[in-house]
Amino acid sequence: MHRLSVVTRVENLAEGIKSYWLALDSDLNAEPGQFIMVWIPGVGEIPIAVAYEENKKLRLVIARRGKTSNYIHENLVKGDRVFIRGPYGNGYIYSNVRRALLVGGGYGASSLLFLASKLVNRGGKATVILGFRNKSKVILVKDFTEIGADVIVCTDDGSYGIKGLASEVAEEIMDDFDAVYTCGPEIMMTKVVHYALSKGRSVQASLERIIKCASGVCGSCVLEPQGLLVCRDGPVFDGEILIKTEDFGRYWLDKTGRRIDISRLKN
Amino acid sequence: MAKLEVTVAGIKLRNPLILASGILGITSGLMVRVERAGAGGIVTKTITKKPREGYDNPVFLELDVGYINAMGLPNPGADYFAEELRKLENFHIPIIASIGGSTPEEFTYVANKLKIPLVKGFEINASCPHVSKHGVEILSDRKLLSEIVSSVKSVSNNSPVFVKLSAMINDVVKLGEIALESGADGLVAINTIRAMAIDIWAKKPVLSNIYGGLSGPAVKYVAQRVIYELYNVFPDKPLIGVGGIEKWQDVVEFILAGASAVQLGSVIAKKGLTVFNEIIRGVKMYMEQEGFRNIEEMRGLAHRT
Ligand SMILES: Cc1cc2nc3c(=O)[nH]c(=O)nc-3n(C[C@H](O)[C@H](O)[C@H](O)COP(=O)(O)OP(=O)(O)OC[C@H]3O[C@@H](n4cnc5c(N)ncnc54)[C@H](O)[C@@H]3O)c2cc1C
Ligand SMILES: Cc1cc2nc3c(=O)[nH]c(=O)nc-3n(C[C@H](O)[C@H](O)[C@H](O)COP(=O)(O)O)c2cc1C
Ligand code: FES
Repeated sequence: MHRLSVVTRVENLAEGIKSYWLALDSDLNAEPGQFIMVWIPGVGEIPIAVAYEENKKLRLVIARRGKTSNYIHENLVKGDRVFIRGPYGNGYIYSNVRRALLVGGGYGASSLLFLASKLVNRGGKATVILGFRNKSKVILVKDFTEIGADVIVCTDDGSYGIKGLASEVAEEIMDDFDAVYTCGPEIMMTKVVHYALSKGRSVQASLERIIKCASGVCGSCVLEPQGLLVCRDGPVFDGEILIKTEDFGRYWLDKTGRRIDISRLKN
Repeated sequence: MAKLEVTVAGIKLRNPLILASGILGITSGLMVRVERAGAGGIVTKTITKKPREGYDNPVFLELDVGYINAMGLPNPGADYFAEELRKLENFHIPIIASIGGSTPEEFTYVANKLKIPLVKGFEINASCPHVSKHGVEILSDRKLLSEIVSSVKSVSNNSPVFVKLSAMINDVVKLGEIALESGADGLVAINTIRAMAIDIWAKKPVLSNIYGGLSGPAVKYVAQRVIYELYNVFPDKPLIGVGGIEKWQDVVEFILAGASAVQLGSVIAKKGLTVFNEIIRGVKMYMEQEGFRNIEEMRGLAHRT
């Protein structure tokens, strides 16, 4: 069954992206990279990464994408109830990492924020490269800076920070780091993973697929041909595993379980 | 040495633990994983003639006593799924194709498509509790049940056909009899039991479909009772027990009640795929301790007077 939480704060982060702070009655003890299922009664239930958790306070970053996320954006205000279950899945592995490079795109920056705060708290160093389409989409820069991470921002059109792709900037500076983490559009993550492995760096990426049960039984979130489950074995996977996964960067299962080209997903 | 191999309606299984329908049996990669995890056999997700998206989330809930799901029979459809199964190479454990539909024609369409060498048998899903006309309604219409069973049997090329029953029908033994008289080779019991869950703070049903099916420990003793009743009347027929099995003791209970083999379903949510080997070790240990040489010797012993 779901847990009850109450919205304590809503922030407009950028065009189409909001952040929600929820008060819980007990800790989830989520790890960075894990996700929860957010149920809005009468509307739907969607998987969302944990952007931060501390003292029964949970932060989510939600982009407008369709039915449920639109409803959340248009209706959810301070004092409203939100129903959640989880946390689910395996998060990032980060013990003993000294110098980490985090590469995020769009709302993918969200789970990396939680990771950066854990890394910095343990005395590690986190440098984050964030990529966005343009200035109106830029999020979380101040949040990363405040927790003590170094931030590099790029936009496709150069309207904010460096003009270029986060994956390209990552290639230029990767030599300085011992571990790489990435979360964002899968095309970007594919580039980051391949480059990092070619440089002998350990790399982890957080994937999305259609989540239904979130409990490792329905198979809707599978990656073929290994039969890896995003909700259970992931959503964070080691790059060494992903490069052997045909589906990585290429295919999703649609809601019926038919494999479709990743470019055919509606966004 | 205790032997775990069993033959159920002519299907040879390396052990009596079969993956239940609707649990991971939807892609070739997942089936390979289940084989490697030690399963004796696999029942596929229920496949229908046309692809189905299933219901909107929420579709699955974890409870203190089990699980409720209303997935809505999502599946890629028979044509696509036949190709998916053809991807399997060097696959050694038997696959039983679960078929769904609402008319005999839909059932035979799917059976014909899935008649490929790796598929060693068919399981007629006549018991889904949350999709209209695709489940329990079939069991409530004895003539329809009989037509579906005989038409699947007529196209099955002598592969065994099982009928999956529901505990929601009062006279389950009578239905078992109709299924067997119509040509079924064995019976599977039970599917999930229609249920719902209400959230007290939302003051609403949780599943988007309102109704779903209850599984897990909450249904174990019901499933066991159904197998016991069926064995009373059909001790010579293959009977497959399913519902709430989580540990080796549960498997032993079902076999003593009369099951020839069992299926594991929602326990995978709790324990993952390692549960197959964990249970196999336990059953083997029990058999050695109690002096059973094979599963058949244990079957139905709880009925002895
Ligand atoms: C592990 C994980 C973590 C995620 N974390 C975040 C996050 O932190 N912030 C955020 O904004 N988004 C996140 N997402 C994506 C988010 O779940 C989808 O944007 C959301 O489900 C869309 O649903 P909708 O009803 O708003 O739109 P819909 O109109 O239902 O769908 C729009 C698109 O969203 C995707 N989608 C729909 N349903 C699902 C589903 N059940 N599971 C996965 N994808 C789906 C599909 O690509 C679909 O085409 C995450 C997804 C996963 C799998
Ligand atoms: C998520 C889920 C999906 C299921 N899908 C199907 C299905 O497609 N066809 C079917 O015959 N049974 C389906 N079932 C029922 C199971 O096969 C099984 O009969 C039932 O869950 C009881 O066993 P268990 O307690 O071990 O889970 C499903 C069960 C679950 C939990
Ligand atoms: S969402 Fe059901 S197995 Fe992952």
